Amino acid sequence: MVLVPHLIALGLYALATALALAPFAGLRPASRALGLGVPLLGLAAHVIGVAQLTPFVGVAPTLSMLALFLVALQAASEGLFRASAVGVFTGPLATGLLGLALLIGLAPEGAPASGRGAWSILHITVSVFGLAMLALAFIAAALYLLQFHELKAKRFGPVFRLFPPLERLDQLNHLSLVLGFPTVTLGVLLGFGVQYAGGASVDAAQVVWGMLTWVVLGWAVGVRVVRHWAGRRAAFASIASFTAVLLVYVALKLAAPGTQRFL
Amino acid sequence: MSITVLGVSHRTAPLEVRERFAHEPREVPASLARVLAAGAGGGVLLSTCNRTEFYLAEGDDAVPEVVWALLSERLGGGRNASTYGYTQRDRDAVRHLYRVSAGLDAMILGESQIQGQVRDAWETSKAQAGPVLHRLFQSALLVGSRVRSETGLATGAASAPSAAVAVAARIFTRLAGRSALILGAGDMAELAATCLVSEGVRVTLVANRTYERARAIAEQLGARALTLDEAWEHFADADIVLSSTAAPHAVVTWDRVAPAVARRRGRPLCILDLGMPRDVEPSVAQLENVFLYDIDDLQAVAAQAAAERRGDIPAAERIVSEEVERFWAWYGGLVVVPVLKEFRERLDQVRAAELERTLRRLAHLSPDDRGEIEHFSHALLNKFLHQPTIALKEAAQAGRGYGLLEALKRLFGLERRDEG
Repeated sequence: MVLVPHLIALGLYALATALALAPFAGLRPASRALGLGVPLLGLAAHVIGVAQLTPFVGVAPTLSMLALFLVALQAASEGLFRASAVGVFTGPLATGLLGLALLIGLAPEGAPASGRGAWSILHITVSVFGLAMLALAFIAAALYLLQFHELKAKRFGPVFRLFPPLERLDQLNHLSLVLGFPTVTLGVLLGFGVQYAGGASVDAAQVVWGMLTWVVLGWAVGVRVVRHWAGRRAAFASIASFTAVLLVYVALKLAAPGTQRFL
Repeated sequence: MSITVLGVSHRTAPLEVRERFAHEPREVPASLARVLAAGAGGGVLLSTCNRTEFYLAEGDDAVPEVVWALLSERLGGGRNASTYGYTQRDRDAVRHLYRVSAGLDAMILGESQIQGQVRDAWETSKAQAGPVLHRLFQSALLVGSRVRSETGLATGAASAPSAAVAVAARIFTRLAGRSALILGAGDMAELAATCLVSEGVRVTLVANRTYERARAIAEQLGARALTLDEAWEHFADADIVLSSTAAPHAVVTWDRVAPAVARRRGRPLCILDLGMPRDVEPSVAQLENVFLYDIDDLQAVAAQAAAERRGDIPAAERIVSEEVERFWAWYGGLVVVPVLKEFRERLDQVRAAELERTLRRLAHLSPDDRGEIEHFSHALLNKFLHQPTIALKEAAQAGRGYGLLEALKRLFGLERRDEG
């Protein structure tokens, strides 16, 4: 029963991706209701699927949850910022992550780690949500730089017409970082809490990656809030932060391969 | 009964001719009264900078001559206005108005201003329009709305001033409340400023080489006047700069504005250079977060939007055709009732006259027998009229009633009686 809602979500995310990309292929853009409705339907199916993922162990469930949060943030961006172009990135990303999760296999391998209690699940959920916020900040920054480039180059093609205004993308990036930072902080604190309560074993890799994410995100928020970076400079800072977090994760994962644990 | 449109438009007459035909709203009632006096049953005058058109209902043959005479008087120089004009009748006239309202006949394909102008024309002419044109203009507004909502004919910015708004809207989240600085007093800048102001942009500063000219424009826009030399420091706080000076060389240079732009702390600045030759040195575009567009760039945006709109013409034309048929069905139904009534009355008069003559010759018949004969005459007439009545009503519902009615009127002499 875990597989069916995930497969439905995968299909709907793929359809949402096609709808988001269609205008770039010269097709008529989908209506706002359709553009928002399809990923939301997928999201509903996905929530049902993720809710059945117990015990919550391994890379696949984490990727599935990350995909879920990305689509939720995409819908929120569309609803609050009319930033439908976010779907151009989140659509393929969420579809890919969910597809990868299904390929790896959502059923837990071997015995579940001990002490996967409510606090541990909360730690994972909050941390993954923080990561999704960081990914959204990255996407908003990438969209910003693309639109910036097109405007500077005086190219009035699909990016000019379909992407949101520069200022709105900057605001979305700012909001994602400002909300993402306390979320990641809470996730890290919950992780320490779970570890010291003896609820779950935490590897050094998890601590390194968690702290690095927190520091990098803190820097990106700091330059925006304290040093008032905005626009292109802030976009580069966001992209650098997310890339650093991603690269360190890949390096740590290569050092200790396996799909049974996220790290 | 008929619907006719007579007029001139950007397709048939140059601007210097069209502007002579243009009517102020206060002039419309008198012109329409003159046309109505010549025999038109109702009229609406649509007059914009791109067209002057008289829409007439139930016009006599003399009416077009009166319209052309009226327009020729405005043209002056003994010239005949009809050489610049066109006439469309019935379905073609309805289709013409629907296409106009939808923006299909506009100089800038799909432009939406015409919808408001059609509404204004209808409002101004309401007292003289009559029921048919009243319905026609109401439906034309609906057709315009339908085309704009169901097709992409109105999407994008298809003129340079609206492209200026479109470009600024890709930079700023909301244009409302943004501040604009205008350099110079060119016509294009004024047009673009009007477009921006309609989006809620506040023109706060107007700078010109001569302070007096700047003050005259600033007073109109509720802004502060400056000389050009005073303007450069305001590049630090304006969101949009609109430039259209008559200078023979670039007046907005890197040296003049770079220090002010550096104080913007990364806030974007949109510079729209509408001057010819250009007012802004191209190197200004290299400044951080400065977005510079000249008239060629804006025309490229407009051309692209216009090209995209052209792809929606078939869909828009389909809607127009559907709505023409819908209107024509209503119109056919409207005219069929009085004509059928008259047709029946005419035949009943014939029946009554023939019955009277027959009964005079058959004076020996009993009252009952006379009654039978009269009943027979009624029944026979009803039998004869049944099929034509059904056919006409069905044709009217299908939008084909008008042609049949014309034939009926001609065959049974109803038209001559109308004229009599």
